Amino acid sequence: MTPPNTGVRLRIALLVLGIAAGLASVWPLSGSAQEGPALGSSKMDDGREHAGSGGLSPGSLIDVPMVNLTPGAVDVRPKLAIPNLDADAAQRGLAYFTSFNCVGCHMPNGGGGMGPALSHRPFIYGDRPENIYLSIHQGRPNGMPAWGTVIPDKLIWDLVAYVRNISQAPAQEWGTTTSKTSPTIEQVPKEFKPSTAQPWNYTQKFSSGQAPNP
Amino acid sequence: MVCSLWRCLPYAALLLLAAPASAEDAQAPTSHSPTSSAAGAPQAIEELVRDKNNWGMAAKDYANTRYSELDQINAANVAQLQVAWMFSLGPARGQEAAPLVINGIVYVVAPYAGPKPNQVFALTLANGDLKWSYAPKPNPAAAGIACCDVVSRGLAYDKGKIFLNTLDGYAVALDAETGKELWHTQLGDINKGETITMAPVVVKDKVLVGNSGGEYGARGWLAAVGTNSGKILWRAYSTGPDSDVLIGKDFKAPYPWMSGKDMGVKSWPPDKWKVGGGNAWGWISYDPELDLIYYGTGNPGAWNHETRLGDNLWSCAIFARNPDTGMAKWAYQIGPHDLWDYDEINENILVDLPIGNEVRKVLIHPGRNGYMYVLDRATGEVLSADAFDTVNTISSIDLKSGRPVLNDSLTPQVGRTVRNACPASPGAKDWQPSAWSPRTKLLYVPHQHLCMNFLTGDVGYIAGTPYVGAEVDMFAGPGGHRGEFMAWNPVEKKKVWAITEQLPVWSGALVTKGDVVFYGTMDRWFKAVDANSGKVLWQFRAGSGFIGQPTTFAGVDGRQYVAIISGVGGWSGAIAVAKIDPRVRNGALGFTGAMQDLPTHTAGGATLLVFAVPTNKRDTADIVAPPK
Repeated sequence: MTPPNTGVRLRIALLVLGIAAGLASVWPLSGSAQEGPALGSSKMDDGREHAGSGGLSPGSLIDVPMVNLTPGAVDVRPKLAIPNLDADAAQRGLAYFTSFNCVGCHMPNGGGGMGPALSHRPFIYGDRPENIYLSIHQGRPNGMPAWGTVIPDKLIWDLVAYVRNISQAPAQEWGTTTSKTSPTIEQVPKEFKPSTAQPWNYTQKFSSGQAPNP
Repeated sequence: MVCSLWRCLPYAALLLLAAPASAEDAQAPTSHSPTSSAAGAPQAIEELVRDKNNWGMAAKDYANTRYSELDQINAANVAQLQVAWMFSLGPARGQEAAPLVINGIVYVVAPYAGPKPNQVFALTLANGDLKWSYAPKPNPAAAGIACCDVVSRGLAYDKGKIFLNTLDGYAVALDAETGKELWHTQLGDINKGETITMAPVVVKDKVLVGNSGGEYGARGWLAAVGTNSGKILWRAYSTGPDSDVLIGKDFKAPYPWMSGKDMGVKSWPPDKWKVGGGNAWGWISYDPELDLIYYGTGNPGAWNHETRLGDNLWSCAIFARNPDTGMAKWAYQIGPHDLWDYDEINENILVDLPIGNEVRKVLIHPGRNGYMYVLDRATGEVLSADAFDTVNTISSIDLKSGRPVLNDSLTPQVGRTVRNACPASPGAKDWQPSAWSPRTKLLYVPHQHLCMNFLTGDVGYIAGTPYVGAEVDMFAGPGGHRGEFMAWNPVEKKKVWAITEQLPVWSGALVTKGDVVFYGTMDRWFKAVDANSGKVLWQFRAGSGFIGQPTTFAGVDGRQYVAIISGVGGWSGAIAVAKIDPRVRNGALGFTGAMQDLPTHTAGGATLLVFAVPTNKRDTADIVAPPK
């Protein structure tokens, strides 16, 4: 299903992206906005099949909680048909992460800078796909712009796929120890692996501020 | 000037009585001059800059020397320094602000974070009592528009008013006595990527304020706001047509390649100057004799230089302007067509130096590009430019043309990783201000020692979002250390002594008539060193790393104090205070690579530290009386 305001959004987004060079080859909207993984395909993000169909509009996400504290400790999370967040979606998300300047604040591979790191979880406003979708769509108080009227839904879901991917830092412990000997690894930096949507697949010895040795 | 009769008359009388503090005056025991506020007449900044007991502007004086005539604390007794009192500013983000002191009151400003962003505090120097505080109305979204932590570099003072810049783009005037808001004026818009981080400077009843936003394609400007009215009197852009840049018939470029009409348009691809940066986020100097203000402009946007063919005037340049009209007298572009984010907003120190066979009125500019520039400050002509750190991006500065001679083998191309370019994007020296001693004739320069890998990529402009187009990865320069504190002789054009530091030296410097130099390190040491030899005389381990500006002043009892705010952060230190992953080297615009071990040395802080030497009567510096 196409939300009624998608046409407006597409025009704004295309206007914005018209400035960005070199995207034609990865731009999936050159055909129809309905192509690619269908909204409402039947996988939940945790792999469970979901019977629902017909896709997600922003309105259907109104019941998504941002927090994991609820009065009475009841599970209030709605059952949602999350679009397919596969490797292709993540790879497209990588391109949009650059073209919408997400990279400018969250930095290459989501290392964090003006905006918070996306390279590891948890996220302040929730790390489930629907939480990430809403954070992009609505914006967040300390500097995250509201992108909902600029980026088409389908592209936001591709960004969600990419952000979910890059946030899978290997966890060696429940918390995080920082010391002269921890952390032990760092990612191979982006200048040597520019096109991967799986940056945590490439790691090397932690450099402690010295030049990297890929 | 708008003021009531009872307020103006005493001030006018005091102006007649006031005499500039000379070196001879300083020999006497420190005591307040008759221009102090005893009679209730607020001092003008033009007097305060010559008043050794007060520290009335971030850079101490219009020449930006950060030199104090006080000498109670000297090389012989500095080792006895102790904390007199402390104060917490609240948010544990980068503390880059200079504590000001005017007639026994300390004024400080907090970073733009926490429940009261950019909160201003007035404290009684004698006992640390909080006199008042002021919190501007916040717009928390501004935090997302700040490239390099949510810092403020300080306040300004003039005639009983404190002037504050807020990160979200306002200039505010407060009654220095009561903290009451007198006016506020919006100067910038975060939706256009504009913020304000610099310390304002007051010249001739005008608050001079420039914007930040070079990483957001925000067009740079410097504005003059009336200290009484809060009205914008002029605004000079760094790019665009001469009518916007305030270039008129009195303007003379020091070199022919910068001359011509509307060079701020012609040196860019069509319309790119509108999103071209060149922000005035650094220091402002003033020469009352030549009646010129001096300041530098920042990097052009985007960092990917292939998006902006041409020299990109007037980014990475120094302007000399008339403070009344804003009209430019001269401008010199240090970095035509910047490749590396070498902003040239660093301080311009105004001194008279023997060059050749004559004494010249010069401006010393420790360049972000790693060269120490000495310019004729009447004309902008480059007299000398010599490398002070490892530089391989620029082979030399051609003194005939004033242009840098580039190392073409390192020029970035989209998709090609440049390896080991030095200095890295923050330059061999960033905003952290130097100090000049007229006694030793040396410039004391805190700086970093970093190289980088650099990969440019496609980038599009979206208002209010970053406009960079480069993936950067910084690391320690040759030798493995990342910082240095050095003494430089600008006449002999050489380094006299240097202290290597494992981390970048991101704090400012202070030098005194006691021949002591102060600076702080990111690994939490506040140091006093001998101005002649560089020997460390004293050091204090604080709660958090230092990126602030040390200042010194005397209390109403004549006692000398030294102050600095402890609290790591800033571009270099954000990794210790923000959600930044030390394992992802390209974070923080590439600074993560060089600072990934900072969290093993320090966490954030927000503590104003006020130091003094114990007197004969007391065996500790603690001067706080218990409540009666």
